[in-house]
Amino acid sequence: MSPPAAASGSPIVGRQGNYAGGVTRLVAFAADVGASWGAFTLAVAGITFAIQLVTGTKIDLTQGRFSALIVVVSFVAWEFVYFAYQWSLSGKTVGMALLGIRVVTTDGGSITGRQAVIRTLTLPLSFLLFGLGFIGILLNKDRHALHDRLARTVVVYSWDARAARLRWLANQDPASPV
Amino acid sequence: MRHWGDAPVDQASAAVSPLPGSNRMEQLVESIAERVVGLVIEAIDVNALVGKVDMDALLSKVDIDAIVSKVDVDALINRVDVDKIVSRVDVDQIVERVDVDRIIDRVDVEKIIDRVDVEKIIQRVDIDALVEQTELGTIIARSTSGVASEALDLVRAQGVGLDDFVARWVNRILRRKSDDWPAGPPALVAALAVAEIPPGRSEASR
Repeated sequence: MSPPAAASGSPIVGRQGNYAGGVTRLVAFAADVGASWGAFTLAVAGITFAIQLVTGTKIDLTQGRFSALIVVVSFVAWEFVYFAYQWSLSGKTVGMALLGIRVVTTDGGSITGRQAVIRTLTLPLSFLLFGLGFIGILLNKDRHALHDRLARTVVVYSWDARAARLRWLANQDPASPV
Repeated sequence: MRHWGDAPVDQASAAVSPLPGSNRMEQLVESIAERVVGLVIEAIDVNALVGKVDMDALLSKVDIDAIVSKVDVDALINRVDVDKIVSRVDVDQIVERVDVDRIIDRVDVEKIIDRVDVEKIIQRVDIDALVEQTELGTIIARSTSGVASEALDLVRAQGVGLDDFVARWVNRILRRKSDDWPAGPPALVAALAVAEIPPGRSEASR
């Protein structure tokens, strides 16, 4: 396996704490959407199966306005819990942890529960304005999105690239030059 | 003409004169003198006498600097055969007499640790060389590496690379320079920078 850029002594090895860029954030968000959607689908399937097991009748939650409304409301609530809880707990979601980024306050501290809730509630705003809420990630010097600005947060790299480099160095043959 | 004080002078001069019988006289005078001195010494209370001496006044008159300046310390040291002294010292015997546990009990380790600048020491350590040249590398590899973590490192590194690529192009399109932009939240970047500056390299060269 060829060494990752971080392992080849590139400037990436000291980027911990720097503002995270748009690509990493987008991939992390996609991973979160996938994870939360997958978990929700599994939960709905599990509940449906349990009801069917107990009552003996087959239920399709997507049929009927009422059940569809329940599913949508549940999904929105689940998404809120998914993001707000994880951000308030550690400043990162599953997707962000995978990509090695996390949310911090504008001065670099851990975010509060209030900030996590505000960030979660205002995240849809960035989508609703034709995605213009995200343009700040590309244009602003502190890579603020709209919901970041409203919650007074920023996203930084929390990935320890130095540890990755050490892992890579450790796997090298000592005789071969690095 | 005789004066009141002349008589003893004359007697004394007669006692030491080289005339016959003067030796007996001399011996007599000596024995009297010894007796008198003995009586005087017995009569004197030396402690009381010393007590009356103002030592401070006496010492204040002594110019210690002048005395010390007259001492040729180099010459004094040159005359000392240190090797001979050291050869006479039985170090094992001294060490055996030392109660190490007692000494250690008296050492305030916490205070010593507080005075040690651990961060400065860590900065001096060439971790890359350490990992490459020691078993530490193998231990790290065994404990932390795996296909999954390597793949994750790769994905993250690619992500950072793409972030930089996009940011570079945005700046190029907007014709702006981002050299003086903050890399991250000031407190976070400063704290991490201190821990990451390699020895012999200033922060500006990063």
